[in-house]
Amino acid sequence: MQICWHSFFFLLVALVACWFALAVVVSSNIVRMALYLVGCLGAVAGLFFLAGADFLGGLQLMIYVGGTLVLLAFGVMLTSRSQFVSMKTGAAQWVLAVIVGGSLLAVLLQGAFSVARWAPPDALAGDRPPQSAPTAGALGLGLVGVRPDKLDQEQERLREGMAGYLLPFEVISVHLVVVLVGAAYLARARRRIAAATRPDGEPPGSST
Amino acid sequence: MPEYHQYPSLAEFVSTFLPESWGWLAYVLAALVHVALLLVLALTVAAASNWFERKVSARMQDRLGPTRVGGRFGWLQSVADGIKLLTKEDLIPREADGLLFRLAPYLSFCASFSIYLALPFAGGAGGWVAQRLNIAVFFVLAVAGLEVFGVILAGYGSGSKWSLFGAMREAAQVVSYEVPLALAALIPVMVAGSMDLVRIGNLQKDGFWDWLIFHDPFTFLTFFVYLTCAVASVNRAPFDLPEAESELVAGFMTEYSGFRWSLFFMAEYASMFAVSVLAAILFFGGWNGPLPLAEWLGLTQSHGGLAAYAGNFLGMCNLLAKSYLGVIVMMWLRWTLPRLRIDQVMTVCLKYCIPVAAAMLLGAMVWCYALPGGLVRAVRPHPEAAARWGAPPVDQPPHPPAALAAGKGGR
Amino acid sequence: MVLERVDPELAEFDVHTDELLVNMGPQHPSTHGVLRLVLRTDGEVVKEVIPHIGYLHRCAEKIGENLAARQWIPYTDRMDYLAGMNMNLGWALTVEKLLGLEVPERARHLRVLIAELNRIASHLVAAGTYGLDLGSFTPFVHCFREREKILDLFERVCGARLTYSYITIGGVMADLPRGWLDECEAFLVSFEPVIDDLHALLTSNAILIHRTAGIGVLSPEMAVSYGCTGPVLRASGVNWDLRRDGEPWCTRTYVGYKFEVIAETDGRYPQDAPYPPVPSAVVLGDCWHRFYVRMLEVVQSVKLARQAMDYYRKSPPGVGEPLRLVQKLPKGEAYLETEAPKGQMGFMVVSDGTTVPWRARARSSSFCNLSVVSELCRGCLIADVPAIVGSLDIVLGEIDR
Repeated sequence: MQICWHSFFFLLVALVACWFALAVVVSSNIVRMALYLVGCLGAVAGLFFLAGADFLGGLQLMIYVGGTLVLLAFGVMLTSRSQFVSMKTGAAQWVLAVIVGGSLLAVLLQGAFSVARWAPPDALAGDRPPQSAPTAGALGLGLVGVRPDKLDQEQERLREGMAGYLLPFEVISVHLVVVLVGAAYLARARRRIAAATRPDGEPPGSST
Repeated sequence: MPEYHQYPSLAEFVSTFLPESWGWLAYVLAALVHVALLLVLALTVAAASNWFERKVSARMQDRLGPTRVGGRFGWLQSVADGIKLLTKEDLIPREADGLLFRLAPYLSFCASFSIYLALPFAGGAGGWVAQRLNIAVFFVLAVAGLEVFGVILAGYGSGSKWSLFGAMREAAQVVSYEVPLALAALIPVMVAGSMDLVRIGNLQKDGFWDWLIFHDPFTFLTFFVYLTCAVASVNRAPFDLPEAESELVAGFMTEYSGFRWSLFFMAEYASMFAVSVLAAILFFGGWNGPLPLAEWLGLTQSHGGLAAYAGNFLGMCNLLAKSYLGVIVMMWLRWTLPRLRIDQVMTVCLKYCIPVAAAMLLGAMVWCYALPGGLVRAVRPHPEAAARWGAPPVDQPPHPPAALAAGKGGR
Repeated sequence: MVLERVDPELAEFDVHTDELLVNMGPQHPSTHGVLRLVLRTDGEVVKEVIPHIGYLHRCAEKIGENLAARQWIPYTDRMDYLAGMNMNLGWALTVEKLLGLEVPERARHLRVLIAELNRIASHLVAAGTYGLDLGSFTPFVHCFREREKILDLFERVCGARLTYSYITIGGVMADLPRGWLDECEAFLVSFEPVIDDLHALLTSNAILIHRTAGIGVLSPEMAVSYGCTGPVLRASGVNWDLRRDGEPWCTRTYVGYKFEVIAETDGRYPQDAPYPPVPSAVVLGDCWHRFYVRMLEVVQSVKLARQAMDYYRKSPPGVGEPLRLVQKLPKGEAYLETEAPKGQMGFMVVSDGTTVPWRARARSSSFCNLSVVSELCRGCLIADVPAIVGSLDIVLGEIDR
């Protein structure tokens, strides 16, 4: 009897991810929802590690789980009032959710099963263990403006665009800063001045 | 194929002893061995650090510390304390969120323990490491940042305002200090050219002048930035505001007692040790001693067999000793300095650590470009480093550019 | 592009967090005793501090109406239990003022010696626990180690470590045992280097300065109007010490003694023993200055103790007779404030001619010092509240009596 451990762990981690994702949807306590989301995205990181994309798995852990979700949990934890501690979803919303989610699932499954072969061509050539998968070197070089992978292209036409991703990277960063500043500006509270002085000159709230 | 694949993995080694149909068990056994070794290391370090901290703090305060349990030095005190904690009543406050309260210590400890999966303890035979990752530094930093979840959930799940305050402060502190910590860890990575900890360690093999801390003045200063950020990210004094006993009783750990508390405790010591191991590998040569004794005694990998194993074992002891020195320094700091307020903690991070780390990064970059091979190596260039940074190889004079030579020849 | 008309009635604020009522104590590691502080905070910023006291009230003053004057001395011990001798001294001087009783010379010098040693002990506790409040664990143990030596000396003198009842109406209970003066001198010699250690660990520590500079600044006018006394008052720049400036019945104890009053005058502290200079970040009247004044007062107390030992050796024997329990107190009243380590401790005795006072009253220095805490804490962060309360150096035994 042989157990393919790779498939075993893949199935296990995928099940964990699906389970936690379902728990996020089904749970009625917003803080627990945040916790289940942590579990789900952590499992996704595990899937990345299993697929040999170590760097992507590390990125997922550092940025999503360790950054975004910390912020999310922080916000949820600090602002949760009692009505959010148990959120009830109405029946109509359930129906709508099932329809939308179900159709998305159908599209994804159809797309997944319609691809003839999932593996990249050269990986099938030998039984290469996942540790020797490509590293992030090419990605790092691409981010600073060099695309060494384009040098391997046979077609002359596809060698264009050696400049890499530096400009889009900068544009996205500046965009993010603008969004953050804008959000902070939009989120500040505006209150109507509670009639600081009445027309007859009496301050509000004074009783005789 | 990376060069470490010439060494069989533990699973392959075990499978040679198992009958054919039980081959699948090899992987399980190999994983169990790795986990058991690392767990033993983490827990032993936690227990030993507990005893050691009590002794060190006692001596600093002109008293003796534990002296009864286990003979004159009280070394069984940790064991006694562990037994006591295990047998304590399991108390959960009424307002606590049960699931989160129970889950938090385990999250903290698992995050802390996962760091050990990528840490190598010796450099030979492909590295004595549970999982050799070529992005090891990145992985360590990513997983170290997950510890904050345990703290947030503990603070919220305890259902008390005090714990919530402590958790808030801790999350802000740890998340903020991840940035300068990563910047500081990035500098030796940049100098070494790889995030693979085994490679970084093996690069520093020719004596203490090869250690990355002495590579240039910028990496030297970077170590102190790293030390500050590491102390902050494991919540030790002077950055231990979340556990500030005199202000918030025990911060986010207020409602925890017994085994759950001991898990937080072990997570803290395990983290301390793990960041020390990382510092030792990145800055202090890892498993290489101050003098290349293993090479002189012929205990290197090329000699094979028992000699290689002995060399690796010595290297591991070396690394553990250096890391433990780091832990001792952290203990020393705790018992000497008062505590910083949360806004002062954030000020140190945002106004001092980040700019200094960024400046060090710039400086180290310029240095690597101008003087490849480091301070000592500028006099005696290291062939590998020189080649990596584009300087001409050691034994040949610099080649003039081809055009100039052709021009001169043509004249 | 359509521009929005700006509505003049709309006021824009920053993100407004809710007010939080946080309770510190009565069981809390950093409130010095059973003190309950209710903090009204806006996020991390404290808007108001409401102290709730009375957890240690033991009806001492009422009991004083049922006991002869000398029998009330143990109750004064338990008021400021960290400076029991000074409490005894205050009550003894008050009743002696009512009686017009003069104590022998040797008793007077003994009182000074013992009171100054107790002042050192009290300030050591203040300094150690202040460091502990701010997270510095080691100086606390060093301070208590030195205090242990003082307590050993007191145990040799009167048999008790904390609740002495040694200084009595009419003098002191007993003369010093043989060899005590040498032990005391040995202690003072061994103590002086420790003061330098404490300066290095605490007073000059950059983190402590960061935590205390500019925090809880008490102006001299506010100090006087709230009735703050002792190091709290002197740290705000008011040069006032009852040992020098008090009424004659109080200052006669210290006649012939040379000491400096530790308060900043003309921008400088009195130059005496070498001590660290005042850092630039601190403001007169903040927590650091209150801490600093206590550290410098310890040096003055060492000086006074040495002078007292000299005078003691030269004084004729005889430490006075304790007041007889059946002695009737003359009709009238007497109020006397003395300079206790934590401030001016006042005692009042109203007598109707019998042995038992009609009213025995203690005016607690820490009570008035604590009253200013809400003013000081306005606008500071929560982490500063222990720093401010610690710098006031309060003892709940004295506040609640």
